[in-house]
Amino acid sequence: MSRQPTSILLPRDADLIQVTGLHKTYPGGQEVLKGVDLAFRPGEFVAILGLSGAGKSTFLRCLNRLVEPTSGRILVPGMVVDRPADAVVDIVRVSGPELQRWRRRVGMVFQQFNLAKRLSVIDNVLSGSLGYAHPMLSSLRMFSDQEQARALRNLDRVGLLPLAYQRADAISGGQQQRVAIARALMQCPAMILGDEPVASLDPKLSLSILELMRNICREDNITVLVCLHVLELAKRYADRVIGFAGGQVVFDGPPDKLDDLSIRRIYQAKTEELRGFSV
Amino acid sequence: MRGATDQYLDLPRPPRSTGKRLVVTLSVLAVLAWAFLGTQFNPAELVAGLPKMADMAKQSWPPDWGRLFDPADYHLPEELTWQQTLLPGPLTQDQQDIRDAWWSNTWPQTILGGTIQTIQMAIAGTALAALFSFPLGFLAARNTSPHPSVYFGVKVVVNVLRSIPDFAVGLVLISAIGLGPFTGVSALAFATTTVLVKLFSEAIENIDQGVVEAIQATGANRFQVYSFAVVPQVMADFISFVIYRFEANIRAATVLGLIGAGGIGLLMNADFRTFQYQQAAVSVLVLIVLVLIVDFASARLRRMVQ
Ligand SMILES: Nc1ncnc2c1ncn2[C@@H]1O[C@H](COP(=O)(O)OP(=O)(O)O)[C@@H](O)[C@H]1O
Ligand SMILES: [Mg+2]
Repeated sequence: MSRQPTSILLPRDADLIQVTGLHKTYPGGQEVLKGVDLAFRPGEFVAILGLSGAGKSTFLRCLNRLVEPTSGRILVPGMVVDRPADAVVDIVRVSGPELQRWRRRVGMVFQQFNLAKRLSVIDNVLSGSLGYAHPMLSSLRMFSDQEQARALRNLDRVGLLPLAYQRADAISGGQQQRVAIARALMQCPAMILGDEPVASLDPKLSLSILELMRNICREDNITVLVCLHVLELAKRYADRVIGFAGGQVVFDGPPDKLDDLSIRRIYQAKTEELRGFSV
Repeated sequence: MRGATDQYLDLPRPPRSTGKRLVVTLSVLAVLAWAFLGTQFNPAELVAGLPKMADMAKQSWPPDWGRLFDPADYHLPEELTWQQTLLPGPLTQDQQDIRDAWWSNTWPQTILGGTIQTIQMAIAGTALAALFSFPLGFLAARNTSPHPSVYFGVKVVVNVLRSIPDFAVGLVLISAIGLGPFTGVSALAFATTTVLVKLFSEAIENIDQGVVEAIQATGANRFQVYSFAVVPQVMADFISFVIYRFEANIRAATVLGLIGAGGIGLLMNADFRTFQYQQAAVSVLVLIVLVLIVDFASARLRRMVQ
């Protein structure tokens, strides 16, 4: 039988991931990422800000290769993809089973939650362990007792244990996003990517979801990268803010360094235009 | 007096193109005239045929209900009791042979037997088609096909094959493998597969791709993505299509019977050709009831799965 996945213990002072010279040009010729250089530490909670179209989603999707980078390097320690600890792996160059081994260490949370609506909550959570599970049995949606127990534990962690056997379309939006987070937790991830995870939720739910994500980040030492479009939320939750504009990083620093000038640069706007918004 | 909103009528509006309308109207009329002339449209013939039709209706009345209800019309073997023939149980070899002969030769020639055989043909043909079209649907959908050439190849082949009407498939199979219900089942399975692959692959192409991405992002392989992201989104549609095709296949199985592929269609054909209208009327009425029941049940079932 398949073994139980465990979290990876990474030293806090070494980078989990190093992105250098990342370019992306979509077919059609639009250059969306124009050379991005960034590095992330284990357990960092990073908010990514930027106008619509700045390339935030493209950047996140390059990290787990849902989008193919045109050029650049994404270096991670070998142990994350079950290679020797001293090896360094370029994610841009891996494929097949090795790409799957990387993806299973990277959880992703979406604006539209992207649950399989007709499946039960617990099956949706279990789908997070597909990268570790028996390929054939899991394709028939059969999981070991240990996997099911782990799914229930992760559901408990996001506060939804009583809803385990409901259908995923029978629960509210905020609850669906919690299920998506539990699905990501099943991956024993080294990193969680959030592409506007709270943009479809009301302000109160937004706070509770980001709070949950930050607690997970702290407790499990998981790097969390979230695109947000509410500056307030970024300031409130992030350890570090990255500003994207026109496919380039125009700000990178702690939230208290976000001054008027940097906000203007991120939003490519004059200060007067931003007046009235809580910047 | 001008109302409060009349000012809006003064705003310039695009001119109506009367010329274009005239051209469209004339073209439609021309096509209709061409079609009716080409098919020797002649209502007089229809009217002249009315007495003959009335005569036929009179000859079919009353239907020969004995064919359906009279035990004598089922020709149960005299050597066995009816329980021995109809119910499972231990028999000697001779008795076994007599029973088998009745079930395979006499029973399908009765109204009840023929009707049930038609239903069996429709079920078997539809089930085989469902079995084949499920994997083929994945190959013929752009977003789940393993390779663009596979997608393109399967799609083209299935589209070409679908253009062959099911009774034409039946005719070919009859000359290849002979008369009988198995021929009917094969023809139905073939024709239904081509239709189901089209419907199913289109349903797959319309799924929410976000769920596929989410499952891919967990490190899942191709089949795990199918199982968790695709199947849950299309299963209800697939079952719905299968039930709907079963409904259509009850009628198709009857037509295939008319050309010799077993079931109630075969009996109907024999009765009409020997001018036994009172007997034919029974098959027709039974068929009507059957189709109504199946349509009703199918609509209910399809509503249940959605
Ligand atoms: N699959 C795609 N094909 C072509 N262009 C795309 C695709 N996805 C995004 N783009 C384009 O790339 C640009 C950046 O998009 P995106 O990364 O989604 O920005 P953001 O998430 O910051 O709003 C946009 O102009 C968008 O139109
Ligand atoms: Mg985006």
